[in-house]
Amino acid sequence: MFLILGAILAAYALLAPLTSLDAAQSANVPLLADRLWFRIATIIAMFIVMATAWNIIGGITGYAAFGNVAFFGIGAYTTGMLIAKAKWPFLVALPFAPLVSAGFAALVGLPLLRLRGHYFAVASLGVGVAVGELVQNIDYGGQPLFGGASGLFLPIYAIDNRGLFFFYLMVAAATIAIAVTWWVLRSRFGYGLIAIRENEEAAAVLGVNTTVYKVAAFALSAALTGLAGGIFSQWNVFINQDNTFPIDYNVQMILMALLGGTGTVFGPAVGAVLLQLLIQFLGGSLPISFDIPFVSADARPILAQVILGLLLVGVVIFVPRGVIDFFGGRSRLSLSYLRRSLRETSL
Amino acid sequence: MSAGVTTQLELRGVTKRFGGVAAVDGVTFEVGKGEIVGIIGPNGAGKTTLLNCISGLHRLDGGDIRWQGASIAGMAPHRIAKLGIGRTFQIVRPFGSMTVRENAAVGALFGSAAGRRGPKEAFEMADQVLDLVGLKAKADHPVSALTIPDRKRLEVARAVATRPHLLLLDEVMAGLNNVEIDEALEMVRAVHATGVTVLLIEHVMRVIIGVCRRAVVLDFGQVLAQGEPEVVLRDERVIQAYLGERYAKRLKS
Repeated sequence: MFLILGAILAAYALLAPLTSLDAAQSANVPLLADRLWFRIATIIAMFIVMATAWNIIGGITGYAAFGNVAFFGIGAYTTGMLIAKAKWPFLVALPFAPLVSAGFAALVGLPLLRLRGHYFAVASLGVGVAVGELVQNIDYGGQPLFGGASGLFLPIYAIDNRGLFFFYLMVAAATIAIAVTWWVLRSRFGYGLIAIRENEEAAAVLGVNTTVYKVAAFALSAALTGLAGGIFSQWNVFINQDNTFPIDYNVQMILMALLGGTGTVFGPAVGAVLLQLLIQFLGGSLPISFDIPFVSADARPILAQVILGLLLVGVVIFVPRGVIDFFGGRSRLSLSYLRRSLRETSL
Repeated sequence: MSAGVTTQLELRGVTKRFGGVAAVDGVTFEVGKGEIVGIIGPNGAGKTTLLNCISGLHRLDGGDIRWQGASIAGMAPHRIAKLGIGRTFQIVRPFGSMTVRENAAVGALFGSAAGRRGPKEAFEMADQVLDLVGLKAKADHPVSALTIPDRKRLEVARAVATRPHLLLLDEVMAGLNNVEIDEALEMVRAVHATGVTVLLIEHVMRVIIGVCRRAVVLDFGQVLAQGEPEVVLRDERVIQAYLGERYAKRLKS
Protein backbone atom coordinates (compact mmCIF):
# COMPACT_ATOMS: atom_id res chain seq x y z
CA MET A 1 0.00 0.00 0.00
CA PHE A 2 2.73 2.46 1.03
CA LEU A 3 4.65 1.21 -1.92
CA ILE A 4 1.90 2.13 -4.35
CA LEU A 5 1.39 5.53 -2.74
CA GLY A 6 5.13 6.15 -2.76
CA ALA A 7 5.38 5.23 -6.40
CA ILE A 8 2.52 7.51 -7.35
CA LEU A 9 4.08 10.37 -5.40
CA ALA A 10 7.48 9.72 -6.93
CA ALA A 11 5.95 9.59 -10.39
CA TYR A 12 4.14 12.86 -9.76
CA ALA A 13 7.24 14.57 -8.42
CA LEU A 14 9.13 13.41 -11.47
CA LEU A 15 6.52 14.26 -14.04
CA ALA A 16 4.89 17.39 -12.67
CA PRO A 17 7.49 19.84 -13.98
CA LEU A 18 7.54 18.06 -17.32
CA THR A 19 3.85 18.20 -18.04
CA SER A 20 3.91 21.99 -17.85
CA LEU A 21 6.61 22.30 -20.44
CA ASP A 22 4.86 24.90 -22.49
CA ALA A 23 4.39 27.05 -19.42
CA ALA A 24 8.04 26.56 -18.59
CA GLN A 25 9.11 27.43 -22.11
CA SER A 26 7.11 30.58 -22.24
CA ALA A 27 8.48 31.54 -18.85
CA ASN A 28 11.95 30.84 -20.22
CA VAL A 29 13.01 28.49 -17.46
CA PRO A 30 16.28 27.36 -18.99
CA LEU A 31 16.39 23.75 -17.77
CA LEU A 32 12.83 22.80 -18.64
CA ALA A 33 12.85 24.67 -21.89
CA ASP A 34 15.39 22.17 -23.06
CA ARG A 35 13.76 19.66 -25.40
CA LEU A 36 16.33 17.14 -24.26
CA TRP A 37 14.53 16.58 -20.99
CA PHE A 38 11.53 15.38 -22.89
CA ARG A 39 13.56 12.99 -24.88
CA ILE A 40 15.15 11.57 -21.75
CA ALA A 41 11.82 11.28 -19.94
CA THR A 42 10.33 9.47 -22.94
CA ILE A 43 13.31 7.13 -23.08
CA ILE A 44 12.92 6.42 -19.37
CA ALA A 45 9.24 5.58 -19.89
CA MET A 46 10.24 3.34 -22.80
CA PHE A 47 12.63 1.43 -20.58
CA ILE A 48 9.98 1.18 -17.85
CA VAL A 49 7.87 -0.66 -20.42
CA MET A 50 10.72 -2.95 -21.47
CA ALA A 51 11.96 -3.76 -17.96
CA THR A 52 8.42 -4.32 -16.67
CA ALA A 53 7.65 -6.52 -19.67
CA TRP A 54 10.86 -8.51 -19.21
CA ASN A 55 9.86 -9.05 -15.58
CA ILE A 56 6.81 -11.05 -16.68
CA ILE A 57 8.88 -13.77 -18.37
CA GLY A 58 12.20 -13.28 -16.55
CA GLY A 59 11.09 -12.29 -13.07
CA ILE A 60 7.68 -13.84 -12.51
CA THR A 61 8.06 -16.97 -14.66
CA GLY A 62 11.79 -17.34 -14.02
CA TYR A 63 12.88 -17.80 -17.63
CA ALA A 64 15.92 -15.60 -18.26
CA ALA A 65 15.04 -14.22 -21.68
CA PHE A 66 18.06 -12.52 -23.22
CA GLY A 67 16.49 -11.72 -26.56
CA ASN A 68 13.53 -9.50 -25.69
CA VAL A 69 14.99 -6.73 -27.82
CA ALA A 70 13.79 -8.77 -30.80
CA PHE A 71 10.20 -7.92 -29.79
CA PHE A 72 11.07 -4.23 -29.53
CA GLY A 73 12.50 -4.34 -33.03
CA ILE A 74 9.62 -6.38 -34.44
CA GLY A 75 7.14 -3.91 -32.91
CA ALA A 76 9.08 -0.98 -34.36
CA TYR A 77 9.31 -2.52 -37.83
CA THR A 78 5.66 -3.64 -37.83
CA THR A 79 4.41 -0.14 -37.17
CA GLY A 80 7.16 1.37 -39.31
CA MET A 81 6.36 -0.77 -42.34
CA LEU A 82 2.61 -0.22 -42.03
CA ILE A 83 3.14 3.55 -41.91
CA ALA A 84 5.97 3.93 -44.42
CA LYS A 85 5.00 1.30 -46.99
CA ALA A 86 1.27 0.69 -46.51
CA LYS A 87 0.60 4.37 -45.67
CA TRP A 88 -1.52 3.50 -42.65
CA PRO A 89 -2.18 6.17 -40.05
CA PHE A 90 0.02 5.80 -36.97
CA LEU A 91 -2.73 5.06 -34.45
CA VAL A 92 -4.15 2.32 -36.68
CA ALA A 93 -0.73 0.79 -37.26
CA LEU A 94 0.32 0.91 -33.59
CA PRO A 95 -1.93 -1.94 -32.28
CA PHE A 96 -0.30 -4.31 -34.76
CA ALA A 97 3.08 -3.87 -33.06
CA PRO A 98 2.09 -5.79 -29.89
CA LEU A 99 0.07 -8.29 -31.93
CA VAL A 100 2.87 -9.24 -34.31
CA SER A 101 5.45 -9.31 -31.50
CA ALA A 102 3.24 -11.57 -29.37
CA GLY A 103 2.56 -13.85 -32.31
CA PHE A 104 6.26 -14.17 -33.03
CA ALA A 105 6.98 -14.85 -29.34
CA ALA A 106 4.37 -17.60 -29.26
CA LEU A 107 5.90 -19.16 -32.37
CA VAL A 108 9.51 -19.19 -31.13
CA GLY A 109 8.39 -19.75 -27.53
CA LEU A 110 6.89 -23.16 -28.21
CA PRO A 111 10.26 -24.76 -29.00
CA LEU A 112 12.47 -22.39 -26.94
CA LEU A 113 10.55 -22.63 -23.68
CA ARG A 114 11.16 -26.37 -23.59
CA LEU A 115 14.73 -25.44 -22.71
CA ARG A 116 15.64 -24.59 -19.16
CA GLY A 117 18.17 -22.44 -17.38
CA HIS A 118 21.25 -21.45 -19.35
CA TYR A 119 20.02 -23.20 -22.46
CA PHE A 120 16.96 -20.99 -22.72
CA ALA A 121 19.03 -17.87 -21.99
CA VAL A 122 21.51 -18.66 -24.77
CA ALA A 123 18.85 -19.70 -27.27
CA SER A 124 16.78 -16.58 -26.66
CA LEU A 125 19.89 -14.43 -27.09
CA GLY A 126 20.41 -16.14 -30.44
CA VAL A 127 16.87 -15.26 -31.51
CA GLY A 128 17.40 -11.65 -30.43
CA VAL A 129 20.46 -11.30 -32.63
CA ALA A 130 19.10 -13.34 -35.55
CA VAL A 131 15.89 -11.34 -35.95
CA GLY A 132 17.81 -8.06 -36.24
CA GLU A 133 20.07 -9.53 -38.91
CA LEU A 134 17.12 -10.98 -40.81
CA VAL A 135 15.24 -7.70 -40.82
CA GLN A 136 18.24 -5.90 -42.26
CA ASN A 137 19.13 -8.53 -44.85
CA ILE A 138 15.90 -9.96 -46.24
CA ASP A 139 15.50 -9.04 -49.88
CA TYR A 140 12.38 -9.32 -52.01
CA GLY A 141 12.57 -8.97 -55.77
CA GLY A 142 16.11 -7.57 -55.54
CA GLN A 143 15.06 -4.86 -53.07
CA PRO A 144 15.60 -4.95 -49.34
CA LEU A 145 12.18 -5.75 -47.90
CA PHE A 146 12.52 -3.75 -44.70
CA GLY A 147 14.70 -0.89 -45.90
CA GLY A 148 17.92 -2.88 -45.51
CA ALA A 149 21.07 -1.30 -44.16
CA SER A 150 19.89 2.22 -44.92
CA GLY A 151 16.94 1.80 -42.55
CA LEU A 152 13.37 2.96 -42.82
CA PHE A 153 12.13 6.54 -42.84
CA LEU A 154 8.64 7.30 -41.57
CA PRO A 155 6.64 10.41 -42.41
CA ILE A 156 6.62 12.79 -39.45
CA TYR A 157 3.46 12.48 -37.40
CA ALA A 158 1.65 15.79 -37.73
CA ILE A 159 0.51 16.86 -34.30
CA ASP A 160 1.09 19.91 -32.11
CA ASN A 161 3.52 19.36 -29.30
CA ARG A 162 4.91 16.18 -30.76
CA GLY A 163 7.39 15.71 -27.92
CA LEU A 164 4.66 15.96 -25.33
CA PHE A 165 2.39 13.62 -27.31
CA PHE A 166 4.95 10.82 -27.55
CA PHE A 167 5.95 11.33 -23.95
CA TYR A 168 2.35 10.81 -22.87
CA LEU A 169 1.99 7.83 -25.17
CA MET A 170 5.08 6.17 -23.73
CA VAL A 171 3.91 6.92 -20.17
CA ALA A 172 0.56 5.33 -21.06
CA ALA A 173 2.38 2.24 -22.31
CA ALA A 174 4.39 2.14 -19.06
CA THR A 175 1.17 2.42 -17.06
CA ILE A 176 -0.36 -0.43 -19.04
CA ALA A 177 2.74 -2.58 -18.45
CA ILE A 178 2.65 -1.93 -14.70
CA ALA A 179 -1.12 -2.48 -14.51
CA VAL A 180 -0.80 -5.77 -16.40
CA THR A 181 1.90 -6.91 -13.97
CA TRP A 182 -0.28 -5.90 -11.01
CA TRP A 183 -3.15 -7.94 -12.43
CA VAL A 184 -0.93 -10.94 -13.25
CA LEU A 185 0.42 -11.13 -9.70
CA ARG A 186 -3.10 -11.29 -8.28
CA SER A 187 -4.55 -13.73 -10.78
CA ARG A 188 -4.72 -17.48 -11.22
CA PHE A 189 -2.40 -16.97 -14.19
CA GLY A 190 0.24 -15.33 -11.97
CA TYR A 191 0.13 -18.06 -9.33
CA GLY A 192 0.69 -20.56 -12.11
CA LEU A 193 3.69 -18.59 -13.42
CA ILE A 194 5.27 -18.27 -9.97
CA ALA A 195 4.70 -21.99 -9.37
CA ILE A 196 6.54 -22.68 -12.65
CA ARG A 197 9.41 -20.45 -11.53
CA GLU A 198 9.68 -22.15 -8.15
CA ASN A 199 9.36 -25.74 -9.36
CA GLU A 200 8.10 -26.60 -12.81
CA GLU A 201 7.40 -30.31 -12.21
CA ALA A 202 5.57 -29.61 -8.96
CA ALA A 203 3.47 -27.03 -10.81
CA ALA A 204 2.66 -29.55 -13.54
CA VAL A 205 1.48 -32.31 -11.20
CA LEU A 206 -0.75 -29.78 -9.44
CA GLY A 207 -2.49 -29.14 -12.75
CA VAL A 208 -0.67 -26.13 -14.23
CA ASN A 209 -0.47 -26.40 -18.02
CA THR A 210 3.16 -25.31 -18.00
CA THR A 211 3.62 -25.09 -21.78
CA VAL A 212 0.61 -22.84 -22.32
CA TYR A 213 1.45 -20.68 -19.29
CA LYS A 214 5.06 -20.16 -20.27
CA VAL A 215 4.20 -19.32 -23.87
CA ALA A 216 1.46 -16.95 -22.70
CA ALA A 217 3.87 -15.18 -20.35
CA PHE A 218 6.44 -14.89 -23.14
CA ALA A 219 3.83 -13.54 -25.57
CA LEU A 220 2.53 -11.04 -23.01
CA SER A 221 6.06 -9.84 -22.35
CA ALA A 222 6.63 -9.57 -26.10
CA ALA A 223 3.38 -7.67 -26.68
CA LEU A 224 4.30 -4.95 -24.19
CA THR A 225 7.87 -4.72 -25.51
CA GLY A 226 6.50 -4.55 -29.05
CA LEU A 227 4.15 -1.73 -28.06
CA ALA A 228 7.14 0.30 -26.88
CA GLY A 229 8.87 -0.47 -30.18
CA GLY A 230 5.83 0.64 -32.17
CA ILE A 231 5.68 3.98 -30.38
CA PHE A 232 9.43 4.40 -30.77
CA SER A 233 9.33 3.97 -34.53
CA GLN A 234 6.93 6.88 -35.11
CA TRP A 235 8.52 9.00 -32.40
CA ASN A 236 12.03 8.55 -33.78
CA VAL A 237 10.84 8.75 -37.45
CA PHE A 238 13.87 6.73 -38.55
CA ILE A 239 14.46 3.08 -37.68
CA ASN A 240 17.28 0.70 -38.54
CA GLN A 241 18.93 -2.37 -37.08
CA ASP A 242 21.10 -0.31 -34.75
CA ASN A 243 18.35 1.63 -33.04
CA THR A 244 15.67 -1.06 -32.86
CA PHE A 245 17.71 -4.22 -32.19
CA PRO A 246 20.53 -2.97 -29.93
CA ILE A 247 21.96 -5.83 -27.90
CA ASP A 248 22.67 -3.40 -25.00
CA TYR A 249 18.91 -3.09 -24.47
CA ASN A 250 18.79 -6.78 -23.55
CA VAL A 251 21.32 -6.27 -20.80
CA GLN A 252 19.82 -2.99 -19.70
CA MET A 253 16.24 -4.21 -19.28
CA ILE A 254 17.40 -7.23 -17.28
CA LEU A 255 19.69 -5.10 -15.13
CA MET A 256 16.84 -2.65 -14.50
CA ALA A 257 14.53 -5.44 -13.35
CA LEU A 258 17.25 -6.93 -11.15
CA LEU A 259 18.21 -3.56 -9.71
CA GLY A 260 14.64 -2.67 -8.85
CA GLY A 261 13.50 -6.12 -7.83
CA THR A 262 12.37 -9.00 -10.05
CA GLY A 263 8.91 -10.46 -9.61
CA THR A 264 7.54 -7.23 -8.11
CA VAL A 265 5.07 -4.76 -9.64
CA PHE A 266 7.12 -1.57 -9.37
CA GLY A 267 10.66 -2.90 -9.05
CA PRO A 268 11.53 -2.91 -12.75
CA ALA A 269 10.10 0.61 -13.16
CA VAL A 270 12.17 1.91 -10.25
CA GLY A 271 15.22 0.19 -11.71
CA ALA A 272 14.51 1.66 -15.14
CA VAL A 273 14.37 5.22 -13.79
CA LEU A 274 17.54 4.83 -11.70
CA LEU A 275 19.56 3.08 -14.35
CA GLN A 276 18.47 5.17 -17.31
CA LEU A 277 19.28 8.37 -15.42
CA LEU A 278 22.68 6.90 -14.64
CA ILE A 279 23.25 5.88 -18.26
CA GLN A 280 22.28 9.32 -19.54
CA PHE A 281 24.37 10.99 -16.83
CA LEU A 282 27.48 8.95 -17.59
CA GLY A 283 26.94 9.32 -21.30
CA GLY A 284 26.92 13.08 -20.84
CA SER A 285 23.40 13.48 -22.27
CA LEU A 286 21.94 15.10 -19.19
CA PRO A 287 21.78 18.90 -19.29
CA ILE A 288 23.60 18.82 -15.97
CA SER A 289 27.05 18.94 -17.40
CA PHE A 290 30.16 17.92 -15.52
CA ASP A 291 33.62 16.61 -16.18
CA ILE A 292 34.84 13.19 -15.20
CA PRO A 293 38.56 13.32 -14.40
CA PHE A 294 40.87 11.32 -16.69
CA VAL A 295 38.01 10.53 -19.08
CA SER A 296 37.68 12.33 -22.37
CA ALA A 297 34.22 13.16 -23.70
CA ASP A 298 34.56 10.53 -26.44
CA ALA A 299 35.28 7.77 -23.97
CA ARG A 300 32.30 8.49 -21.78
CA PRO A 301 29.87 6.02 -23.44
CA ILE A 302 32.53 3.33 -22.97
CA LEU A 303 32.89 4.30 -19.33
CA ALA A 304 29.12 4.00 -19.02
CA GLN A 305 29.32 0.42 -20.33
CA VAL A 306 32.06 -0.45 -17.86
CA ILE A 307 30.10 0.99 -14.95
CA LEU A 308 26.95 -0.85 -16.08
CA GLY A 309 28.87 -4.12 -16.14
CA LEU A 310 30.23 -3.54 -12.65
CA LEU A 311 26.79 -2.55 -11.45
CA LEU A 312 25.29 -5.75 -12.87
CA VAL A 313 27.83 -7.84 -10.95
CA GLY A 314 27.31 -5.84 -7.78
CA VAL A 315 23.51 -5.99 -7.94
CA VAL A 316 23.39 -9.71 -8.61
CA ILE A 317 25.71 -10.43 -5.69
CA PHE A 318 24.63 -7.89 -3.10
CA VAL A 319 21.06 -6.82 -3.87
CA PRO A 320 19.50 -9.94 -5.38
CA ARG A 321 16.00 -8.89 -4.34
CA GLY A 322 16.40 -5.40 -5.78
CA VAL A 323 16.25 -1.95 -4.23
CA ILE A 324 12.45 -2.13 -3.91
CA ASP A 325 13.15 -4.48 -1.00
CA PHE A 326 14.24 -1.42 0.99
CA PHE A 327 10.94 0.40 0.54
CA GLY A 328 8.00 -0.36 2.78
CA GLY A 329 10.32 -1.27 5.64
CA ARG A 330 10.89 -4.85 4.54
CA SER A 331 14.65 -4.54 4.69
CA ARG A 332 17.17 -1.87 5.54
CA LEU A 333 20.32 -1.24 3.56
CA SER A 334 23.15 -2.12 5.90
CA LEU A 335 26.41 -4.01 5.95
CA SER A 336 24.70 -7.05 7.46
CA TYR A 337 22.08 -7.00 4.66
CA LEU A 338 24.86 -7.05 2.06
CA ARG A 339 26.64 -9.85 3.92
CA ARG A 340 23.45 -11.90 4.15
CA SER A 341 22.81 -11.41 0.42
CA LEU A 342 26.35 -12.45 -0.36
CA ARG A 343 25.79 -15.68 1.59
CA GLU A 344 22.52 -16.33 -0.24
CA THR A 345 23.90 -15.73 -3.70
CA SER A 346 27.15 -17.65 -3.30
CA LEU A 347 27.41 -21.41 -3.35
CA MET B 1 -8.17 -56.78 -4.66
CA SER B 2 -11.24 -57.82 -2.79
CA ALA B 3 -14.49 -58.42 -4.61
CA GLY B 4 -17.08 -55.67 -4.91
CA VAL B 5 -14.50 -52.90 -5.22
CA THR B 6 -14.43 -51.02 -8.51
CA THR B 7 -11.04 -50.72 -10.16
CA GLN B 8 -9.81 -47.15 -10.33
CA LEU B 9 -6.20 -47.43 -11.46
CA GLU B 10 -4.95 -50.24 -13.62
CA LEU B 11 -1.30 -50.84 -14.50
CA ARG B 12 -0.66 -53.31 -17.30
CA GLY B 13 2.92 -54.28 -18.02
CA VAL B 14 4.18 -50.76 -17.29
CA THR B 15 7.77 -50.42 -18.46
CA LYS B 16 10.23 -47.54 -18.24
CA ARG B 17 13.83 -47.78 -19.39
CA PHE B 18 16.73 -45.42 -18.77
CA GLY B 19 19.30 -46.29 -21.39
CA GLY B 20 19.64 -50.07 -21.16
CA VAL B 21 18.28 -50.33 -17.65
CA ALA B 22 14.61 -51.13 -17.13
CA ALA B 23 13.82 -49.15 -13.99
CA VAL B 24 10.23 -50.37 -14.16
CA ASP B 25 9.80 -53.66 -15.97
CA GLY B 26 6.35 -54.98 -16.83
CA VAL B 27 4.58 -53.94 -13.64
CA THR B 28 0.96 -55.05 -13.45
CA PHE B 29 -1.44 -54.40 -10.59
CA GLU B 30 -4.71 -52.64 -9.83
CA VAL B 31 -5.88 -50.18 -7.25
CA GLY B 32 -9.55 -50.20 -6.26
CA LYS B 33 -11.62 -47.20 -5.29
CA GLY B 34 -11.22 -46.35 -1.62
CA GLU B 35 -8.21 -48.61 -1.03
CA ILE B 36 -4.94 -47.75 0.65
CA VAL B 37 -2.23 -49.66 -1.18
CA GLY B 38 1.43 -49.65 -0.19
CA ILE B 39 4.39 -50.00 -2.56
CA ILE B 40 7.52 -51.31 -0.88
CA GLY B 41 10.86 -52.49 -2.10
CA PRO B 42 14.57 -51.89 -1.64
CA ASN B 43 16.28 -48.71 -2.84
CA GLY B 44 16.44 -48.56 -6.62
CA ALA B 45 13.54 -50.98 -7.05
CA GLY B 46 11.73 -48.46 -9.26
CA LYS B 47 9.08 -47.21 -6.83
CA THR B 48 9.47 -43.50 -7.52
CA THR B 49 9.90 -44.15 -11.24
CA LEU B 50 6.58 -45.98 -11.18
CA LEU B 51 4.91 -43.00 -9.52
CA ASN B 52 6.48 -40.69 -12.12
CA CYS B 53 4.98 -42.90 -14.82
CA ILE B 54 1.51 -42.70 -13.27
CA SER B 55 1.63 -38.91 -12.84
CA GLY B 56 2.90 -38.40 -16.37
CA LEU B 57 6.39 -37.09 -15.60
CA HIS B 58 7.89 -40.08 -17.41
CA ARG B 59 6.72 -41.40 -20.74
CA LEU B 60 6.14 -45.14 -20.79
CA ASP B 61 8.37 -47.39 -22.88
CA GLY B 62 5.80 -50.14 -22.74
CA GLY B 63 2.51 -51.19 -21.24
CA ASP B 64 -0.50 -49.11 -20.39
CA ILE B 65 -1.93 -47.19 -17.44
CA ARG B 66 -5.70 -46.92 -17.26
CA TRP B 67 -7.65 -44.55 -15.07
CA GLN B 68 -11.31 -45.42 -14.58
CA GLY B 69 -11.18 -47.54 -17.70
CA ALA B 70 -9.48 -45.07 -20.06
CA SER B 71 -5.80 -44.99 -20.95
CA ILE B 72 -3.76 -42.10 -19.53
CA ALA B 73 -0.42 -43.25 -20.98
CA GLY B 74 1.34 -40.36 -22.73
CA MET B 75 -0.91 -37.73 -21.20
CA ALA B 76 0.69 -34.50 -19.94
CA PRO B 77 1.12 -34.25 -16.13
CA HIS B 78 -1.33 -31.35 -15.77
CA ARG B 79 -4.08 -33.29 -17.55
CA ILE B 80 -3.53 -36.31 -15.31
CA ALA B 81 -3.70 -33.97 -12.31
CA LYS B 82 -6.99 -32.58 -13.57
CA LEU B 83 -8.38 -36.12 -13.89
CA GLY B 84 -7.96 -36.39 -10.14
CA ILE B 85 -4.57 -38.01 -9.58
CA GLY B 86 -2.55 -35.99 -7.08
CA ARG B 87 0.96 -36.70 -5.86
CA THR B 88 3.69 -35.64 -3.48
CA PHE B 89 7.44 -35.71 -4.04
CA GLN B 90 9.84 -37.67 -1.87
CA ILE B 91 12.23 -34.74 -1.84
CA VAL B 92 9.81 -31.94 -1.04
CA ARG B 93 9.39 -29.30 -3.74
CA PRO B 94 7.65 -26.35 -2.13
CA PHE B 95 7.19 -23.05 -3.96
CA GLY B 96 9.84 -21.29 -1.91
CA SER B 97 8.78 -17.68 -2.42
CA MET B 98 5.17 -18.34 -1.39
CA THR B 99 3.57 -18.66 2.01
CA VAL B 100 2.20 -21.98 3.24
CA ARG B 101 -1.33 -20.89 2.36
CA GLU B 102 -0.32 -19.79 -1.15
CA ASN B 103 1.37 -23.15 -1.75
CA ALA B 104 -1.85 -24.98 -0.91
CA ALA B 105 -3.87 -22.44 -2.91
CA VAL B 106 -1.95 -23.33 -6.09
CA GLY B 107 -3.26 -26.88 -5.71
CA ALA B 108 -6.79 -25.56 -5.25
CA LEU B 109 -6.47 -23.16 -8.20
CA PHE B 110 -5.32 -25.72 -10.73
CA GLY B 111 -6.39 -29.13 -9.46
CA SER B 112 -9.19 -31.43 -10.43
CA ALA B 113 -11.93 -29.61 -8.56
CA ALA B 114 -14.52 -28.64 -11.11
CA GLY B 115 -14.70 -25.18 -12.62
CA ARG B 116 -12.23 -22.37 -12.63
CA ARG B 117 -12.20 -20.85 -9.23
CA GLY B 118 -10.60 -17.54 -8.46
CA PRO B 119 -7.87 -16.93 -5.90
CA LYS B 120 -10.42 -16.06 -3.18
CA GLU B 121 -12.19 -19.44 -3.19
CA ALA B 122 -8.84 -21.18 -3.62
CA PHE B 123 -7.55 -19.56 -0.44
CA GLU B 124 -10.64 -20.67 1.47
CA MET B 125 -10.10 -24.21 0.26
CA ALA B 126 -6.39 -23.98 1.11
CA ASP B 127 -7.33 -23.10 4.69
CA GLN B 128 -9.58 -26.17 4.97
CA VAL B 129 -6.82 -28.43 3.70
CA LEU B 130 -4.21 -26.88 5.98
CA ASP B 131 -6.55 -27.58 8.87
CA LEU B 132 -6.79 -31.22 7.77
CA VAL B 133 -3.01 -31.72 7.71
CA GLY B 134 -2.40 -29.68 10.86
CA LEU B 135 -0.70 -26.66 9.32
CA LYS B 136 -3.45 -24.11 9.95
CA ALA B 137 -1.48 -22.22 12.58
CA LYS B 138 1.40 -21.75 10.15
CA ALA B 139 -0.67 -20.71 7.12
CA ASP B 140 0.99 -17.31 6.81
CA HIS B 141 4.53 -18.52 7.40
CA PRO B 142 7.02 -18.50 4.56
CA VAL B 143 7.95 -22.02 3.51
CA SER B 144 11.54 -21.41 4.59
CA ALA B 145 10.36 -21.23 8.21
CA LEU B 146 8.93 -24.77 8.14
CA THR B 147 10.56 -27.82 9.68
CA ILE B 148 11.04 -30.97 7.59
CA PRO B 149 7.92 -32.72 8.98
CA ASP B 150 5.90 -29.58 8.26
CA ARG B 151 7.27 -29.40 4.73
CA LYS B 152 6.15 -32.99 4.21
CA ARG B 153 2.71 -31.98 5.50
CA LEU B 154 2.66 -29.07 3.09
CA GLU B 155 3.55 -31.42 0.26
CA VAL B 156 0.47 -33.47 1.18
CA ALA B 157 -1.70 -30.37 1.69
CA ARG B 158 -0.88 -29.07 -1.78
CA ALA B 159 -1.77 -32.41 -3.37
CA VAL B 160 -4.96 -32.76 -1.31
CA ALA B 161 -5.99 -29.23 -2.30
CA THR B 162 -6.24 -30.41 -5.91
CA ARG B 163 -9.18 -32.53 -4.71
CA PRO B 164 -7.75 -35.81 -6.01
CA HIS B 165 -9.64 -39.07 -6.28
CA LEU B 166 -6.32 -40.88 -6.02
CA LEU B 167 -3.38 -39.61 -3.99
CA LEU B 168 0.14 -40.87 -4.68
CA LEU B 169 2.36 -40.40 -1.63
CA ASP B 170 6.12 -40.81 -2.11
CA GLU B 171 7.71 -41.56 1.27
CA VAL B 172 5.99 -38.86 3.27
CA MET B 173 7.18 -40.54 6.48
CA ALA B 174 10.87 -40.82 5.60
CA GLY B 175 13.09 -38.97 8.03
CA LEU B 176 10.37 -38.53 10.63
CA ASN B 177 10.66 -39.73 14.24
CA ASN B 178 8.13 -42.05 15.87
CA VAL B 179 5.83 -39.33 17.18
CA GLU B 180 5.89 -37.56 13.82
CA ILE B 181 5.12 -40.84 12.04
CA ASP B 182 2.06 -41.30 14.23
CA GLU B 183 0.91 -37.79 13.35
CA ALA B 184 1.55 -38.42 9.67
CA LEU B 185 -0.39 -41.70 9.87
CA GLU B 186 -3.30 -39.80 11.36
CA MET B 187 -3.05 -37.33 8.49
CA VAL B 188 -3.13 -40.09 5.86
CA ARG B 189 -6.14 -41.68 7.59
CA ALA B 190 -7.89 -38.32 7.72
CA VAL B 191 -7.31 -37.74 4.00
CA HIS B 192 -8.45 -41.28 3.21
CA ALA B 193 -11.56 -40.73 5.29
CA THR B 194 -12.58 -37.92 2.93
CA GLY B 195 -12.98 -40.58 0.23
CA VAL B 196 -9.56 -40.47 -1.40
CA THR B 197 -7.87 -43.62 -2.67
CA VAL B 198 -4.24 -43.74 -1.54
CA LEU B 199 -1.23 -45.36 -3.18
CA LEU B 200 1.84 -44.84 -1.01
CA ILE B 201 5.52 -45.67 -1.19
CA GLU B 202 6.97 -46.32 2.22
CA HIS B 203 10.03 -47.83 3.84
CA VAL B 204 8.62 -47.67 7.35
CA MET B 205 6.96 -51.08 7.72
CA ARG B 206 4.91 -49.89 10.66
CA VAL B 207 3.15 -47.53 8.25
CA ILE B 208 2.50 -50.25 5.68
CA ILE B 209 1.08 -52.61 8.30
CA GLY B 210 -0.74 -49.76 10.02
CA VAL B 211 -2.77 -48.34 7.15
CA CYS B 212 -2.51 -50.57 4.08
CA ARG B 213 -4.80 -53.47 3.37
CA ARG B 214 -2.63 -54.46 0.45
CA ALA B 215 1.04 -54.10 -0.40
CA VAL B 216 2.90 -54.46 -3.68
CA VAL B 217 6.58 -55.38 -3.43
CA LEU B 218 8.88 -54.17 -6.21
CA ASP B 219 12.39 -55.44 -6.83
CA PHE B 220 14.54 -54.62 -9.85
CA GLY B 221 11.51 -52.97 -11.42
CA GLN B 222 9.30 -56.04 -11.21
CA VAL B 223 6.46 -57.04 -8.93
CA LEU B 224 7.97 -59.55 -6.52
CA ALA B 225 4.84 -60.17 -4.46
CA GLN B 226 1.56 -58.57 -3.57
CA GLY B 227 -1.16 -59.15 -1.03
CA GLU B 228 -1.90 -58.50 2.61
CA PRO B 229 1.05 -56.68 4.20
CA GLU B 230 1.58 -59.22 7.00
CA VAL B 231 1.67 -62.07 4.52
CA VAL B 232 3.83 -60.28 1.99
CA LEU B 233 6.41 -59.24 4.57
CA ARG B 234 6.85 -62.89 5.66
CA ASP B 235 7.46 -63.93 2.05
CA GLU B 236 10.95 -65.33 1.82
CA ARG B 237 11.70 -63.63 -1.51
CA VAL B 238 10.74 -60.30 -0.03
CA ILE B 239 13.01 -60.78 2.97
CA GLN B 240 15.79 -61.80 0.61
CA ALA B 241 15.31 -58.75 -1.58
CA TYR B 242 15.37 -56.45 1.42
CA LEU B 243 17.95 -58.03 3.67
CA GLY B 244 19.99 -60.25 1.39
CA GLU B 245 20.28 -63.99 0.95
CA ARG B 246 22.40 -64.70 4.00
CA TYR B 247 20.01 -63.00 6.37
CA ALA B 248 17.09 -64.89 4.82
CA LYS B 249 18.87 -68.21 5.40
CA ARG B 250 19.62 -67.27 8.99
CA LEU B 251 15.96 -66.48 9.58
CA LYS B 252 15.02 -69.91 8.29
CA SER B 253 17.46 -71.86 10.41
